[in-house]
Amino acid sequence: MTEEPRLSAQDLIERLAPALSRRTRIGAVATLLAGVAGAVFMVTLWWSEPGPLPDRTQVAFAVLTVFCVAWAGYGGWLLTRRVVLFATDQVIAAWIGLAASLATTAVVTMTAVQRGTGVGLPLAVGGLFVAVALALAVRAHARQAALLRRLRELTDREEQ
Amino acid sequence: MTDELLVVRAQLGERAALAELLARWRVPVWTYVRRMLDADRADDVTQEVWLAVVRGLPRLREPGRFAPWLFTIARRSVTDRLRGEYARPEEAWEVDEEVTEDPVEAMVDRAALVSVLAALPAPEREILVLFYLEDLPVEECAHICRIPAGTVKSRLNRARRLLREQLEEKGHRP
Repeated sequence: MTEEPRLSAQDLIERLAPALSRRTRIGAVATLLAGVAGAVFMVTLWWSEPGPLPDRTQVAFAVLTVFCVAWAGYGGWLLTRRVVLFATDQVIAAWIGLAASLATTAVVTMTAVQRGTGVGLPLAVGGLFVAVALALAVRAHARQAALLRRLRELTDREEQ
Repeated sequence: MTDELLVVRAQLGERAALAELLARWRVPVWTYVRRMLDADRADDVTQEVWLAVVRGLPRLREPGRFAPWLFTIARRSVTDRLRGEYARPEEAWEVDEEVTEDPVEAMVDRAALVSVLAALPAPEREILVLFYLEDLPVEECAHICRIPAGTVKSRLNRARRLLREQLEEKGHRP
């Protein structure tokens, strides 16, 4: 059985690099967050516009919102299908998501206040995003803690 | 260092652990893929397997069962390409319960085994590769192939018989 694989371990690692690249991971998280935050912001502006809007403006708001949703969808697809987020990456991504949710909530609430529309809906939607981001952060920390616990157990066992 | 420890470290995001895991399992995965497919496709499929492994690794809940999980992924990639060869009805081999003498155990030269493997049908070839070349126990072979352990045994039995016939045809006397 003298035949051997043509690809060395180093070749394989290099070919896997795009899926493991830090830049791709950061890009995917940023795309998702920017898309979601943009969509929320556009909807807030659209909803809080005083008086009836001309048809063209309505279409412009709709197009921009769809554009942001499409970017959010692309970011989500990257994160679930293309990019690898290990436990530590998930913790970092969850905290970035939480910060982005809080910032988006603050911006849309301030916009609603400035325009004199009610703050109930922006706060409710922002609160939902913050709650989801918080839940993801808690889950990511729990997963990381479980892995660190297992790592200590296995290391202790190997040292004995 | 155990596979489980390496997997846990890799799941935490340690690139060196992932590289070590890959270095450790590169040849076994390639051996399985190569014994199931021709040389031209083996490298591409091996790369595809490792990409799926890297993408799935953060979601692996039982790091201690890395090997069967790895071969399950490898098998999925192989069966995608051998769909026709796996299409035989299962009942045809379930009835094959007669115990056959093991020609593989008697073979000192594994190269001879490899040379006749290609002539066997895919399901029998696969079970011989997993059991003999990868040294996986029957239970793990069953998990990887998604069949009961009893079916693994009957398939192994049939594979040994086919192997013996092939060896006799080639004039090899175990």
